[in-house]
Amino acid sequence: MSRRLGNPLPAGDSNAGPSVASAALLDTTRRHFFAQCGVGIGSMALASMLAEESRGAIVRPDPQDPMAPRAPHFGAKAKRIIFLFMAGGPSQLELFDYKPKLQELDGQVVPPEYTKNKRFAFIKGDAKLLGTRRKFARHGQSGAELSECLPHLAAIADEICLVRSMQTDVFNHGPAKLFVNTGSSRFGMPSMGAWLTYGIGSESRDLPGFVVLQSGPRGPRGGNPLWGSGFLPTAYQGVPFLGGSEPILNLASPPGIDRQREGRFFDTVGKLNAQRLAATGDPEIATRISAYEMAYRMQSSAPELIDLSAESQQTLEAYGAEPGKVTFANNCLLARRLVERGVRFVQLYHTDWDHHGNNDTHLGEPLDARCQETDQPAAALVKDLRQRGLLDDTIVIWGGEFGRTPMGEPRDLIGRDHHVDGYTMWMAGGGIKPGQTIGATDELGYYAVEDPVHVHDLQATILHLMGLDHLKLTYKFQGRDFRLTDVGGHVIEKMLA
Amino acid sequence: MNPTRPKARCLFFALALSAAAIILLGVDSVAGAAAVDYAADVRPILEAHCFECHGPEEQESGLRVDFGATLISGGNSGPAVAAGDSKNSLLIKAVHGTDDSVSKMPPEGPGLSDEQVDILARWIDEGAQIPDEPNAPVGRVTSDHWSFQPLDDVTPPKAPEGAIVRNPIDAFVLRRLAETGLAPSVEADRTTLIRRLSLDLIGLPPTVEQVDAFLADRRDDAYERLVDALLNSPHYGERWGRHWLDLARYADSNGYTIDGGRSIWKYRDWVIEALNRDLPFDQFTVEQIAGDMLPGARIDQKIATGFHRNTLVNEEGGTDDEQFRVEAVVDRVATTGAVFLGLTLGCARCHDHKYDPITQREFYELFAVFNNADEPTLPVPTDQQAKELPALNAEIRQSEERLATVDANSGTRQVEWEAKLAATLPLHWTVLDVAASSSGGATFRKLADGSLLAGGEIPRGDVYTVSAARPDHAVTALMLESLPDASLPNHGPGLDEQGAFVLHELSVALAAEDGSSQPVALASARSAYSPKEGPIGNAIDGSTETGWTFTDAKQAGLPQAAIFHLKQPIPDESVGRLVVTLTHQSDDKPRQIGRFRILVTGAPPTTLSQSPEVRDAVRRPAAERTDEQRKAIRQAFLKIDPERVPLAAQIAELRKRKKQVEAALTTTLVMRERTEPRETHIHLRGSFLRHGAKVEPGVPRVLPPIKPRGVSADRLDFARWLVDARNPLTARVTVNRVWQRYFGRGLVATENDFGTQGEPPSHPELLDWLARQFIAEGWSLKALHRLIVTSATYRQASLAPAKLAGADPYNELLGRQRRLRLEAESIRDVALAAAGMLSRDIGGPGVYPPQPEGIYRFTQTKKFWGTNQGPDRYRRGMYTYLWRSSPYPFLKTFDAPDATVTCTRRPRSNTPLQALTLANDPAFFEIARGFSTNLLAAPAADDLERIRLAFRRCLSRQPTAEELSQLSEYLNAERQRFADSPDDALAVAPKNSAPYGATAVPADPSAAEVAQAAAWTMVARVLLNLDEFITRE
Repeated sequence: MSRRLGNPLPAGDSNAGPSVASAALLDTTRRHFFAQCGVGIGSMALASMLAEESRGAIVRPDPQDPMAPRAPHFGAKAKRIIFLFMAGGPSQLELFDYKPKLQELDGQVVPPEYTKNKRFAFIKGDAKLLGTRRKFARHGQSGAELSECLPHLAAIADEICLVRSMQTDVFNHGPAKLFVNTGSSRFGMPSMGAWLTYGIGSESRDLPGFVVLQSGPRGPRGGNPLWGSGFLPTAYQGVPFLGGSEPILNLASPPGIDRQREGRFFDTVGKLNAQRLAATGDPEIATRISAYEMAYRMQSSAPELIDLSAESQQTLEAYGAEPGKVTFANNCLLARRLVERGVRFVQLYHTDWDHHGNNDTHLGEPLDARCQETDQPAAALVKDLRQRGLLDDTIVIWGGEFGRTPMGEPRDLIGRDHHVDGYTMWMAGGGIKPGQTIGATDELGYYAVEDPVHVHDLQATILHLMGLDHLKLTYKFQGRDFRLTDVGGHVIEKMLA
Repeated sequence: MNPTRPKARCLFFALALSAAAIILLGVDSVAGAAAVDYAADVRPILEAHCFECHGPEEQESGLRVDFGATLISGGNSGPAVAAGDSKNSLLIKAVHGTDDSVSKMPPEGPGLSDEQVDILARWIDEGAQIPDEPNAPVGRVTSDHWSFQPLDDVTPPKAPEGAIVRNPIDAFVLRRLAETGLAPSVEADRTTLIRRLSLDLIGLPPTVEQVDAFLADRRDDAYERLVDALLNSPHYGERWGRHWLDLARYADSNGYTIDGGRSIWKYRDWVIEALNRDLPFDQFTVEQIAGDMLPGARIDQKIATGFHRNTLVNEEGGTDDEQFRVEAVVDRVATTGAVFLGLTLGCARCHDHKYDPITQREFYELFAVFNNADEPTLPVPTDQQAKELPALNAEIRQSEERLATVDANSGTRQVEWEAKLAATLPLHWTVLDVAASSSGGATFRKLADGSLLAGGEIPRGDVYTVSAARPDHAVTALMLESLPDASLPNHGPGLDEQGAFVLHELSVALAAEDGSSQPVALASARSAYSPKEGPIGNAIDGSTETGWTFTDAKQAGLPQAAIFHLKQPIPDESVGRLVVTLTHQSDDKPRQIGRFRILVTGAPPTTLSQSPEVRDAVRRPAAERTDEQRKAIRQAFLKIDPERVPLAAQIAELRKRKKQVEAALTTTLVMRERTEPRETHIHLRGSFLRHGAKVEPGVPRVLPPIKPRGVSADRLDFARWLVDARNPLTARVTVNRVWQRYFGRGLVATENDFGTQGEPPSHPELLDWLARQFIAEGWSLKALHRLIVTSATYRQASLAPAKLAGADPYNELLGRQRRLRLEAESIRDVALAAAGMLSRDIGGPGVYPPQPEGIYRFTQTKKFWGTNQGPDRYRRGMYTYLWRSSPYPFLKTFDAPDATVTCTRRPRSNTPLQALTLANDPAFFEIARGFSTNLLAAPAADDLERIRLAFRRCLSRQPTAEELSQLSEYLNAERQRFADSPDDALAVAPKNSAPYGATAVPADPSAAEVAQAAAWTMVARVLLNLDEFITRE
């Protein structure tokens, strides 16, 4: 388990860490504090909440233990989420949404009624329709229609729910990514992972409740605000795991400080803090003491977590993971290990799906490459979760910030522009009805015409599966109760098992 | 809408009414189409269907239809009626409900009947006449909400007997406490007070000496003296400037996805400087909102407008510039609302504010205030540059004037020059009678024109040695002609299959009879054909690696010439043969010249350098020259005019210098009002693509009116309106935010929302008294600080007695102080200060302290981060370069805002990541190392004394006996263990690692010294990690 640490502590060492040495003292001081001050922890917690209080029916987080698991509004179908974010906007027309009519009209100018009053990032009104060069076939008992680009997904077609009628509001990458993550294209709103952990905490005591992983040639456009906590307490912001042996910033002790020395350090800090707690009675110090305790635990739990060498060869091969590399496959396996350990929300970003049609960004080899990087690991993740009995209460989501236009772009190579009126995502696990395709676009693949699912609907549905009413998970800020779904959102009943 | 509301009944009644009207109309139309009457026919229809939402009670979308005039002028979407043109009238489109541009009206229930629509349409087509009627009531909107009322003129209450009242603040606070049966806390001890004051006012801890001096100062006004000293410290401006920068959303990059860098630190420095000189807050506000518009605006006042240039810029491809310009203007309105008015104006962008009396129209009136600015970049010269630039300009101007005089008087000189030039013309080129040999075995055949044609075995690469008797005149230049020939591949002139060649080098020598040879230096080469990939200069650069590359297919079959000027003429009387060597390098195929000849001339270089046009023109009589020729001659003369040339060179030099100075100028982003105003329209549903009615700049009607200087209000009028003493919000909001910094919460807890959804003030009279006091003291922030921090309320202890904590868990009643965790930047500053490493330089460009590897994995583009090695490594946190998409991790972990939107209050989180950061961040651990080094250099009798010193440098107070013994045990244990593991000791305290600012360490420390340094580093690390260390008590 802790092979990487090199220095497992001998059992019974009283210097093993603050939890052993100062636990008794802490207990004493805490008792002392509550007896002395005659205040219940609840009301002290309230004191720091001030006007930030939530009106939702959830139990308000205890600011001293913000990640403590809390009961949702109602019975949850799922407990954890893994969001495979395909940054850049994958082309649904090459992957999921086959349109014979589009093939037929390949090369013709798009009928004006489709583009009237529409705005695009790059293409103009006289754009020509572009049929796909990819072959499609039906798979599984459900007969899900998928392209040749995704053979591994095809093999688990009956596990997934394909949504072909996604819609979003904004068509530039930065704002659109914010929109999927925070429900708003403007800055300052909390992301989904922040809302979730604010609402129901996390079941992991040794790891952050909201973890962000990254693969691909660069970071996702937009950066920090995509997993930010907005106006929620910053305890709920996502923690990006770095590639390499140190997944969390500043996790490793400085050189020359081994596990025992680190234990004595945390112990001494804890003891001195406990004395100040006794002297002042400020519960913030109790919070600080537990934060240091968790930091110490994270120093061993996080390296253990990212050490994929503990996985069987069979598992590694199933994902296509190679220990030591920063790949989507490794991240998928890491995501499983994270949810296994109770982490509430894991978001994986894989970049470079923005296939406009320039060198390296077209729908030929670059698309193949993205699919090769992601298809097998994503499918392996679903299968692995199923095998381990985790899929029933873990939601897996696959998709980007928008889709791509049925029209091609007049560039050197084949590509499509950003498209918001109809695109595809898929989901699996945790209370989602598998083996179905929801919604449809029109004959050109332009507008979602059947069962449209707006981003806010998707968010409402995800919260619903997690046992949260999106209308009630609110936070008062600047005089208004804000929520993830802004002023929209309906639970998509068809999606529910 | 609830369908059971009276509307339904009205509707029924209206239908009945209109049915009657139809009957009447039917009769009328038979009689011959009488005109529709507004009062009798139109208004009743509107009353029945529209008044409920567009009448006296509500004016949805800003539309009111119970008055004819406002019906016609319309609402947010613009005029509802186009007289004479019903088809293009919004009213008709709305009741038809078939037009995309407007929602169907009424939105619920049955719509208007065809007959009713017809009546409305006919009324419009007949000219939309309305009778004289009173004007629709416009003017003030009233509200009884507390914050919109004028500041109350409050007299501080009488303090209860025996209470400690240091100033009127205490009287207000004590009264409320007494009403609840509570008593205030005791005053904090003096050590806590000096640390609290120092952290609050300058964001740095007091030194041990300062603490001792304060403890020893028994004068009655020792405390007040300390306050004044701190307020006069230049670090005061940094501390409170950082708070202001949160509001200003200051950052050093553009934000969004690309997030390129920007230069706007001059604005940051302006804030620090303005606060340090206590620029009155009203002026502080006016300069930031509209400094550019002040009469005779100074450069610093322009720099101040950077406040609203801290908006984001989206550099992503495929974005609509106007969309993001609009976003920036919207942000300016919202930020102004939050910062000065405490209003959530942004809520009214898409619709009327749901809770506060602010309409969507009013939002766009404010938008109009900010919509008329350009966003230029302003160069900000240093004093030196400010002196040098005008001097340079003057010098350039003078030189140019002199030049003009020289030119005006150069006529005679030119005529003389022309005559001299003409005398050397026409140019005479002598074709040399040459013989050549090939290094590769090619043969040459001489043709009638004196040229040589290569033949025989053509090698790959060749050196031609061409010699000829020198002509009977001096030689100043030599011409190489490459010539086409039918026998050559592709007609030549080169020997490769395209007719191309590459001449790698051409050299000239003078060979004497005795076989010795003298090289002839070449000055320059030129040719009409000199491609970028192989210019003619390559042929005389002394290298056979580069060549004159004659490979353009279009040149195949054409002659070409290159002229080579000699450095020194070969004089008439010299003897010997001219030898020209042509070197061609090639490994793969022949690339030699196939046919060529060589000519020489003795014309003076000045003649040769003239263009053929000039040479030709100058030989004509002056009267016969064309204008173009005259111009060409003049230009040629100006280039060589001996009186002009040095002057022209001097001007070029000055211009170059000016360019350098300008390039070195620091720039900053500012606002500049446009002379031609932009039109502002309401954006329907907040979409900048859907323009509604046109609006003029204005302010919400619930607040006092704005007084424009001209016809319509502008940004400067608005800025002055913000700080008009009658504005009930700005002073209240400002004093409340200052209060919040001292007590962890404002008198109004919702510091960014003074609207109806915000919290009411806990001490309304105190708030108003402070606001009035603030204005009365000339908006002096320093006076406000002094007032608050000298109150007994501020000086209380933070520890909450049980009764108080129970009765007032929020400390709303202010019966105590509060322990507050320091802001992100302060934590770093305090650590550097305690360790004795802080660089106290103020201002300047952003700095790059060390940060962990790998943080740019999560950004789209890699950011520049040139980690500082010198003093800038240890500057205050506020100078750290802020990339919006990846803020400095240390600061972010401690809740520093990412500056995407205004931040009126930072959260104070308490997380395991903070623990990891303080314990392990290499930059922070470096501080522990430096701290240890400095501690060991400080005089101390023993370990205990040194621990006390370290403790006091961090926490100001003396350690308790228990704390002392714990630290001492820890020190001893670590020292022993490090002695046992010297490698670890060296890793913790490497040799020669004294960071900047730390006292020098021994160059070659003993093992014991290393163990000592390492153990003290661990002690320092413990102190820097204490909760109390990062807390103001």
